[in-house]
Amino acid sequence: MLIAQEFVRPIIDWHGVAPELTLLAIGAMVTLVDIIWNEKAQRIIPTLTGLGFLAALLPVLTLWSDRDELPRVMWDGAYVVDEYSLVLKGLFLVSAYVVVLLATNYMHDGDYYEGEFYQLVSASVVGMLVMTSARDLISIFVAIELISIPAYLMAAWRKRDLKSNEAGLKYMLMGVFASALMLYGMSLLYGFAGDTRLAAIAPALRSSESIPLITLAVVFVVVGFGFKVSAVPFHTWAPDTYEGAPTPLTAFLAVASKAAGFVALMSVVIVAFPEQSGVAEPLLWVLAAVTMTVGNLIAMRQTNIVRMLAYSGIAQAGYMIAPLAVFGDVPSSAARAIVIYLVIYAAMNLGAFAVVITAARKTRSGEISSYGGLFQYAPGLAVLMTLFLFSLAGIPPFGGWYAKYQVFLVLVEPATTAGYVLAAIGAVNAVLAAFYYLSIMKQMWFMPEPNGDHTRVQITPSLQAALAITAIVTLVTGVLPGVIPDVGDLVVALP
Amino acid sequence: MSLFALIAQETPQFLPQNIAFGVIAVISVVAALKMVTTSNVVHAALYLVLVLASVAATYILLAAEFVAATQILVYIGAVMVLMLFGVMLTRAQIGAEDDLNHDQRWIGGLVAALLLAVMSYALIDHYGDDRLPETIVPQTTAEVSDEIFSTYIVPFEAISVLLLAALIGAIVVARRD
Repeated sequence: MLIAQEFVRPIIDWHGVAPELTLLAIGAMVTLVDIIWNEKAQRIIPTLTGLGFLAALLPVLTLWSDRDELPRVMWDGAYVVDEYSLVLKGLFLVSAYVVVLLATNYMHDGDYYEGEFYQLVSASVVGMLVMTSARDLISIFVAIELISIPAYLMAAWRKRDLKSNEAGLKYMLMGVFASALMLYGMSLLYGFAGDTRLAAIAPALRSSESIPLITLAVVFVVVGFGFKVSAVPFHTWAPDTYEGAPTPLTAFLAVASKAAGFVALMSVVIVAFPEQSGVAEPLLWVLAAVTMTVGNLIAMRQTNIVRMLAYSGIAQAGYMIAPLAVFGDVPSSAARAIVIYLVIYAAMNLGAFAVVITAARKTRSGEISSYGGLFQYAPGLAVLMTLFLFSLAGIPPFGGWYAKYQVFLVLVEPATTAGYVLAAIGAVNAVLAAFYYLSIMKQMWFMPEPNGDHTRVQITPSLQAALAITAIVTLVTGVLPGVIPDVGDLVVALP
Repeated sequence: MSLFALIAQETPQFLPQNIAFGVIAVISVVAALKMVTTSNVVHAALYLVLVLASVAATYILLAAEFVAATQILVYIGAVMVLMLFGVMLTRAQIGAEDDLNHDQRWIGGLVAALLLAVMSYALIDHYGDDRLPETIVPQTTAEVSDEIFSTYIVPFEAISVLLLAALIGAIVVARRD
């Protein structure tokens, strides 16, 4: 008879997990308030959720101010709080706050379920916070599912619209398929190492000779994450889902959910595959090059602005994969460049979505042609959209140029032919992308309003706040790029 | 030399397990093939029960009792019953249907065959010569629970949030308003 060894109570660093716990408490509180006061509470729930995200930011700040204690390693290296995870936690909380601001009027005016929407957003953000610190396969998998499953449901939130049903269904089927692939790759990694911790997988892979099996594991894991970040050729769900889902949720998917996929990809590739760059780099190189090019080429032909932003987001994802194509030589700078890109991309893309949502309050349309005459009846909005589009195109002095500049720096740093060629492809793509961003600007500034309707656009206080936050971040990161905190070294040795 | 003698020669103490594995593997592969080729939705669901049950049997052979019990409770107990309810409560046709197959099945088959070839090659290349250890220590449920409530406490808590969120979301999407 086997007698199990006595249970040892784990030592929990409560300060280290405070952001997650705070958000968990807020999510539970929102659920309770919704249940107890029902209809009466619908007005305050968005505010409460938004404040909750800001409240969860407080422990992140106290952890940051206590930087000497970092990295806080918990559960034998399965959960790590370091500079990298804190910067990303901040990014996710602020992006989620902006998404709540975008959703406030949209969900109310559309007469959709409100309380439940914010509960699902909070659940998804809890997953994102866990993801930034997760350094073992099980936590990463659970976090990615916690991020995705509420998002599948929220994509189908506009229940009376068939397009939204299609969005939710397509997203769920493709997402589940990707999870299965990723899980198979993870099971192979676990078979190799006998350990789920990323830092323990790296030495196990190093001492192994079986290239075919390692390749299979790396390919499955990277392909699984490729779906989540909508890299070409695994992007087919993105345009339909983005178009059909409620637009604030689209902003959430395009920014926060995609960033979470990148966090998982970065953590796994940089911590677990440092010696396998020969296998992972060519794969990521091709993914980056194809994603940028195909995303941009299809974006040019779009007439719906949300679909165009979806394809532009796919192209931007290509830039974010690019540093990983040379990660073997420069792992820390690759991680730094991607985090900087994620921060700036979040600001400028959320900003563009804020303008789209605001303009749709008047035009009731997502067509690019409906942006004619925007400058005449809403000059402020047109100027802000120009700012975000310039930034997306990478034109100084707005944030986007610095993000692209960092990516190019990393690509040329190892001085390899592969890096130079990918940088050249990226440069050509930047020109392609400018073309369709400029076509929207032409529409806004020079074309007449299609219906001759020059009534003003009503910008609600929450949308004003969202526009202000995103515009300020886009401007400041472009002029003073040093404000983005450094993420330090990602790899933490096992205790 | 007969197959049994071959197996017995390799690892005599695992003869019964090896025979059992062979039987279970055949059942699960045949049931999986029948599941995708049958033209009756209810039959497909029942074949799936067989596949999942043989997976559970494999877990028992590997001395993973907790995983085997979970497999039976969750997959056969809950997921399958849900699927059968789904077939009954929706307007899906019960009985044979002619148009369950579609033109993409050949491409699907080709991809599956390719994947099988690549994965078998990679797995045999790495594990081909490995043998089971002389003694297998069964993993007790108590050990599993100790791990869940210490090392894996974060994913465990995250899953409870996930279940609540999935529940709330499913009610909103499924309810009639």
